Amino acid sequence: MNYKLLHIFRNTPFGRETFLQSLYFCKIINAFPVAYIPKNDKFLMYFSNDAVQVDLDHSYLTSPDTAKGHAEDLFKEMQIKPMFYEPKNYTASTLPDISTNFDYLCCPRSVSDLSSKIGLGHIGPKVRRMIKHSPFPILITSPVFKPWKSISVFFGGSKNALNALKLGLKIAISSGFGLKIYTLLEKQDKAYYKDLIQKEGLAEPVKQLSGHWHFYEKKDFNTMLYDVPHDSLIVLGAYGHGIIKDILLGSKMEQIQSTVTNNLLITGPYCSVKL
Amino acid sequence: MELSVFDLSKQLGVAQDTIERWVRQGKLPVIKKGRNYRFDAKELKKWASNHNIKLNFYDKKNMPQKERLSVIPLSVAVQNGGVYFDIQGHDVNSALQSSIEKISMIPDDFKSDLLDRLIEREKALSTGIGNGIAIPHPREQLNYLKNPLVSVCFLDNPVDYKALDNKSVSVLFFILCPDLKMHLHLLSALSFCLRDHKFIEFLKSGPDYAGLIEKIEIIQKTNPI
Amino acid sequence: MSKIKHFYKNLYRRLFQLDDRLLLIIAGSIAGICSGLAAVALRLSLESVLEILHPFRHYGWAFILPAVGALLSSFYLEKIAREGAGHGVPEVIYSVSRYGGILRFRSSYSRLISSFLTIGSGGSAGPEAPVVMSGSAIGSNIAKFLGLNDRQRITLVGCGTAGAIASIFNAPIAGMVFAIEVILGEWKFVNIIPIAIAAVAGAQVSHAIIPDQVIFNHLPFQVGGADILPSLGLAVVAAMVSVLFTKVLRQTGKIAKKSSLPFWARAIIGGSTVGIIGMFMPVVLAEGYHSIQSMISGTFSMGMFFVFLAVFAKIFATAMTLGWGGSGGIFAPCLVIGSLTGVLFHKMLIILVPSFGCASEGAYALLGMTGLVSGVMQAPLTGIFLIVEITGGYETILPLIVVSSISSTMSHYIEPASFYFKELIERGQFLRPGTDARILSDLNIRELIETGFVKVSENMVFRKFIELLKTSDQNFFPVIEDGTQEYKGVIQISTIRKFALDPGMYDMVFLNQIMDTNVLTASLENDLQEVLDMMDINHMDSMPVVENNRFVGMISKTRILDLYRRELIMQTSDH
Repeated sequence: MNYKLLHIFRNTPFGRETFLQSLYFCKIINAFPVAYIPKNDKFLMYFSNDAVQVDLDHSYLTSPDTAKGHAEDLFKEMQIKPMFYEPKNYTASTLPDISTNFDYLCCPRSVSDLSSKIGLGHIGPKVRRMIKHSPFPILITSPVFKPWKSISVFFGGSKNALNALKLGLKIAISSGFGLKIYTLLEKQDKAYYKDLIQKEGLAEPVKQLSGHWHFYEKKDFNTMLYDVPHDSLIVLGAYGHGIIKDILLGSKMEQIQSTVTNNLLITGPYCSVKL
Repeated sequence: MELSVFDLSKQLGVAQDTIERWVRQGKLPVIKKGRNYRFDAKELKKWASNHNIKLNFYDKKNMPQKERLSVIPLSVAVQNGGVYFDIQGHDVNSALQSSIEKISMIPDDFKSDLLDRLIEREKALSTGIGNGIAIPHPREQLNYLKNPLVSVCFLDNPVDYKALDNKSVSVLFFILCPDLKMHLHLLSALSFCLRDHKFIEFLKSGPDYAGLIEKIEIIQKTNPI
Repeated sequence: MSKIKHFYKNLYRRLFQLDDRLLLIIAGSIAGICSGLAAVALRLSLESVLEILHPFRHYGWAFILPAVGALLSSFYLEKIAREGAGHGVPEVIYSVSRYGGILRFRSSYSRLISSFLTIGSGGSAGPEAPVVMSGSAIGSNIAKFLGLNDRQRITLVGCGTAGAIASIFNAPIAGMVFAIEVILGEWKFVNIIPIAIAAVAGAQVSHAIIPDQVIFNHLPFQVGGADILPSLGLAVVAAMVSVLFTKVLRQTGKIAKKSSLPFWARAIIGGSTVGIIGMFMPVVLAEGYHSIQSMISGTFSMGMFFVFLAVFAKIFATAMTLGWGGSGGIFAPCLVIGSLTGVLFHKMLIILVPSFGCASEGAYALLGMTGLVSGVMQAPLTGIFLIVEITGGYETILPLIVVSSISSTMSHYIEPASFYFKELIERGQFLRPGTDARILSDLNIRELIETGFVKVSENMVFRKFIELLKTSDQNFFPVIEDGTQEYKGVIQISTIRKFALDPGMYDMVFLNQIMDTNVLTASLENDLQEVLDMMDINHMDSMPVVENNRFVGMISKTRILDLYRRELIMQTSDH
């Protein structure tokens, strides 16, 4: 299949790590990375019900003359054909529209604040809004490039979590890596979750692709996070219930992303995943 | 009746992306169920007629299927038509006449008409394709036949058939079909068999009914249609 | 209980989901009220700040005021709101035609603040385009909140616009006409009613908050049949002035863009230029409602030569304000220039034909305004209705129509695209509903592509292919490489016909020897327009679509025609 990942290229060492992460992701799942080298400090993405203006921090515009060359070098290093995205339409002369016809988007944890401020535990407001509206999953990278060798899905039983599970299976199929499922038993018991995936017709692929389904008691949340292998791609749904939590993308997800250093692949509430 | 995006896209013959865009743009009356879209067939029809839009809307059952020709293999057609031996005749017309009389599948009322047609066809261009074989057939389809049939007639004496290679003909394959498509199909299947030299030798050796059918079955397996 | 619930659900579905008229009327009036409030807020704050700054205008350093305003305004837009400059109306039209009217929330206030800074400090610009922008953004965001679809959202954008214009001029019909004529570009039954209600709501809000509408109050005019002839002349002059105005505006903007100055330097230069002009000719400053008022009522006290200069000064000042970093619209400057033109024309008429019994100077000011509004925006209906409503009477309607139609026709002849549309037309983004460009932009390659083609390997023997051909109804066979599955070329039945009829070739060639490798291919990212152009130039009926070296499907003219027609029906049908 022709899956495409959009990467907004930042011409800094930090951006290089992020970009390597994208390239590795694409290489593993046979997708095609498309790099966008921003020429303005902002762009717009029109989703089906909202327009998200992304204000990039000025490190994205660092030495524009070398940006393309740097990106091409990295493409070559990973033996991937370089592809660049050029915006076709402009809402205003300094405000390009970026197409939303992609299958994945790669972001560091923040795009509009200075990268020096980013530690763990802080997902920038723009990245949040993109997750909230985007029809495709968003890859949030760890600060340093680190190849991952397995896939871990956090499955909490919600509709989004089912989406995340599907996505995890899809990536497991195309990468050939092992898949582990982690579930925190909150209100229901194991049988409930097994029944749930049975209903969705996911039981068969789960059995085939994933040897391990780990269940944890509610109090063992942090144990669960520690048990996730350090070289694993975490796939999870951004839950979002209620207005306040919606803004924060749900507290669980907040807790997860502030604790683990792994790469995260997040499916938002509008994300649709087809197996 | 409720339709999903997929159903509607099939019925209207457009991509699912198009349906989803139309919904997003507010051009179709839709019922939103969570993240999924559903369409009410009644509402759609009402909406279409109110706005004078032709939707080319079909019910599920009456959806026009792409017509798939039910193909009868040559061996079955020969079984339908039968194999006849010892046909008398000293020229084209008499050989045809005596063959027609023998073939039991042709209703008696139509035999003389069929003969006229066959003779007319032969006058236009000989159906003798060489190697002592001819494929007499009428140019029109024969509505009175229920099934397509191929009758094989072995002549007692070879007759001069004005064939392409000037060899006299001793085997006739009658192709008689109720419709034209079947006719073409059988003609092509037959000519595939007759391109096989071994098959022609086998015909010359004067095979029996069961042997002939078996041979045809073997050959047609190598010709996938 | 469940019956009641069912009934309620059904009712809800009928009232709001399947038939949205009621929903649109309610949401539309809310949008009208909100944008009306925004407009009133801008107007009141402008009035008070101009009042406060008025005493300082006599000092020599006052020319710096517009510079400071422009600086603050462009700093705000660039660094805080991070919005593109410009007056925003093309942005609204663009979003309406391409993205179903989706506008950012920040647009609903950003232009208000920036134009307040520009105009309040004396910059020559109008508050109308900013309120249009924020009104439409308010409408769009109400639609977003309610989760409405594109069509409904566009209607609400129109409602917001109508409410804003209606409120700022206290002219509901002008608001409605402007929204439909300029912003939406389609007169549809379902649009008109919510927009009309929103316009009335906006005007009522403005009337309720400022009951004493000092500007543009009704004045009786005596316009006789004798004025028809001079109004012809005025129309021609107005058309000339509007063309000049449009050209100067665009050129100044271009010069500013070309200069490699940072935005703050541009703002300072532009602002101070306006300030200096304003020292000598205060009529050019700010939005100029008061000057218009005095011209209409005939109490305008400038001499003919000064009026003549003022026309050009105002044009230049507006261009400097808008092109060099200020923020605001051209509607009010148009009115000022128009009334100046009218007054000038009247003064000349009196001198040339002293005994001519023509109407008062105020009436000519009105006619001039119509001429300019129609000429610059090429929206004749908006021009006519605005002036009719402002004057509150139909005494002047005949000359109004004459001036408006002649002026818009003439300027259309010289400059076919109006000021609002020109930028969009140049970018190829002027996509009115039901036009070819709109349909082509709506349909994308993904929707048109035909898939399910049997692919063949490049190492297939021709005989094998002929056998495949027997059972297939494809006319095109994509050829792919064995291992990588990469697209290599295509076999078109029409071009291999002579080989297919020659059995001698069957075992002699492989498919990679007879396939076409130089057939142009499209990609999923191409616009339909580009693909059609490629097909036309190369006389092709179908084209393979190849993405990342993989064959995806075919795109054919037959299919395009089919979907084009459906799309046209969908777009032009009255919803």
